[in-house]
Amino acid sequence: MMKKFLKLMAVNRSFFLFVFLIGMFVVFSFIIPEFSTIYNVLNMTKYGVEIGLLAFAETLIIISGGGGIDLSIGSILSLSAMVIGVLAGRLGVNIVIASILGIITGGLCGVVNGFFVSFLRIPPLIVTLSTMYVYDSLALLIAVDKWGNPMPVSNFPYGYYFIGQQTYFNIPFQVIAIFIPLALMLHFVLSKTTFGRYLVATGNSEVVARFSSVPVRRVKFTVYVIGGFLAGLAALIMTSRIASARPDLGAGLNLQAITIAVLGGTNIMGGEGSILGTLMAIVVITALYNGLQLAGISSIWQVGTLGIILIGSAIANIILSKKFSSVE
Amino acid sequence: MELKKIIKSRELTVGLVMIGLIVFFSLSSERFLTTNNIKNILLQVSSIGVASIGMTMIIITGGIDVSAGSILGIVAVTLGKAATNGFPAWLSIILGILVGLALGSVNASFIALLGIPPIIVTLGMMSLLRSLAYTFLGGRWIASLPGAVRWMGLGKILNVPVPIWLTIILVAYFSYFMRYRPLGRYIYAVGNSLEAARVSGVDTKRILFFVYALAGLMYGIAGAIVVGRAGIVQTNTGNNFELQVIAATVLGGTSILGGKGTIVGSILGSLLVAVLSNGLILLNVPALTEGLIIGVLILGSVAIDVIKNRGEE
Repeated sequence: MMKKFLKLMAVNRSFFLFVFLIGMFVVFSFIIPEFSTIYNVLNMTKYGVEIGLLAFAETLIIISGGGGIDLSIGSILSLSAMVIGVLAGRLGVNIVIASILGIITGGLCGVVNGFFVSFLRIPPLIVTLSTMYVYDSLALLIAVDKWGNPMPVSNFPYGYYFIGQQTYFNIPFQVIAIFIPLALMLHFVLSKTTFGRYLVATGNSEVVARFSSVPVRRVKFTVYVIGGFLAGLAALIMTSRIASARPDLGAGLNLQAITIAVLGGTNIMGGEGSILGTLMAIVVITALYNGLQLAGISSIWQVGTLGIILIGSAIANIILSKKFSSVE
Repeated sequence: MELKKIIKSRELTVGLVMIGLIVFFSLSSERFLTTNNIKNILLQVSSIGVASIGMTMIIITGGIDVSAGSILGIVAVTLGKAATNGFPAWLSIILGILVGLALGSVNASFIALLGIPPIIVTLGMMSLLRSLAYTFLGGRWIASLPGAVRWMGLGKILNVPVPIWLTIILVAYFSYFMRYRPLGRYIYAVGNSLEAARVSGVDTKRILFFVYALAGLMYGIAGAIVVGRAGIVQTNTGNNFELQVIAATVLGGTSILGGKGTIVGSILGSLLVAVLSNGLILLNVPALTEGLIIGVLILGSVAIDVIKNRGEE
C-alpha cells in the first residue's frame, strides 16, 4: 500500500503536488486560523491568475522542445499593459478597443518570437533573451509622458475594474470567467487534439516528427503566438486588478513562470508536460504565498521558497524514481 | 583552410562590427575616443567579462547558469558586511570571493553529482539567493565601505586599474587553458557529446563540477570588482547581471547548444555591448532605447551567423 502510494508520487507529478498541497493546507490551518476560511481560500485564487497564464504559456513552449523557452514573457506582459494604459488612460481610446489592442500586441510579440525560432531556427533562449530587452525597452518608450519620463498610467475608466476586482459569491471574476475556462480549453487542446499530439511529437523528436509529416515549424510558431496572447491577457487582468499600468509590471515574472511550469512536471528537454500538472503547481505556489503572508513572513521569501521547492522537488523526484527503478 | 576558418569565425564578425561602431562614434562625438572614456568602457566591461569566463565554459558544456547575478549579490553582501564589521579589507575581499566559489560548488553538486538539469538548479538558486541577500541586508544599503575594500575596483598597478589587469590576466590564462590544457579540451568534449566523452573515459562529473564551481569563483571576483567600483551594496546589486553575461557570451559566438565557443569571443561580446551603450549615451540617445538596440543587435548578429552557416550542415 505504502509502496504503491510512493510509486504513484514518483510517476505522477500532479499527484505528488496534490499530496504536497494537502500537507501544506493542514500545516497552515494549524498555524494560521484564518488560512482555511472559505473567504481566504476563494480570495487567494485571484493572485494565481496572471502568473498562472504565463506558466501555461511556458508549459506549451517548453513542451515544443529544442530548448524551447520564453524569457520575454514578462516583458510582453509589461508592453501589453502599457499599450492598454496609454491608449485608454492617456489617449482616451475606448477601453474595450484598448484592451483588444493590448492583447493583440501580446500576440504580435509572440509572432516575432515564433518567426525567429521556427522559421529562422535561432535557439529560443537567444531569441527571447533579445526580445526581452526589446519589449522592455518598447514598454518604457511608450510609457514616456509629456515631460519625457516613463510614468505609470492609473486613470482607467471605472467600468474597467470589474475584470480584476469583481467577485461572485467571493469567487473572483477572472478566475471563473477567464482562468478556469482557459485552463480547460488548453488542457483539451494539449491532450485531445491533433495539434496537441503534434506538439508533444515535435518536442520528443523534431526529426521523427518531421518524417511523420508533422508541420513542425508551424507547430512551434503557434505555441509562441499562443504564449504572447496569454501574456497579453494576463496584462489585461493585472492592470485591472491593481488599477495601474506600469512599464515594469512583468519584471521577474519570466523566470517565475518557467519555475512553476517545471515544478508542474514539464520536462525542460521538451516533449513532456501537462496543463493539469502546471495548474497544480500554480495552486501550490498561490496557497504557499498566501500562507507565508498570513504567517507574517516577509514577502521577500516568496520567491526564496519557490526556489527551495523547485530544487527540493527535483531531488525528491530523483530519489523516488531511483528507488522504484531498482525494484523493477 | 585556416584563413577561411578565421573569416568565418564569429570573433571576426563581432570584431568588425565593433570597429565599425568605434569609427562611427569617434566621428560623431569628440568625447568618445579619449583615454578617459576608453578606460571607462574597459572598466565597465571588466565585471561582465570576468563572469563571462565562467559562463562561457558552462554554456560550452551545454548548460546554463541564471544564478550568476544572485551569487554576485550574495558575494557583495558578504564583502560589505565583513568590511563594515571590522574585518580587514583583504580578508573581506577573500571571504566574498570564497562565498562565490562555495555557491558555485553548491550548483555544481546538484548538477554534476545529482544530475539535475542546470536550468532547474540555477533557477532555484537564483530565487533562493535573491531572498537571502534581501534578508541579510534587511532592506538597507551598505554605503560606508572603507577605501581599502574598494581596491578590486579602484586600485591601480602601474597606473592601470586593477579590474583591467584582472580581466586581461584571467582571459589570457583561461583562453590558454581552454585551448591547450587537457581539462579545457574535455570541457568541449563534454559539450559536443556527454555520452561520447564519458565512454572515452572522461570523468564527466568531475568536468561539470569543475565548470560550475569555477564559474562561482569568477562571479566572486566580478562581485568584488562591482562593489569596489560602486562603493555601495544594495538589495538589487547583481539584478539582471546573469542576463547581461549570457547576452555577452552568446553574442560572442558561444553556441547555446554546447560544444562551441571561446572566451575571447565572449569578451568581444561584452566589449561590443559596452561600446554601444557608452556611445549611445555620448550621442544623447535616450537611455530607454538602449535595450531595444542591444536586443536587435544580438538577434541580428546571431541571425546573420545562422544564415551564413546554413549551407554547411
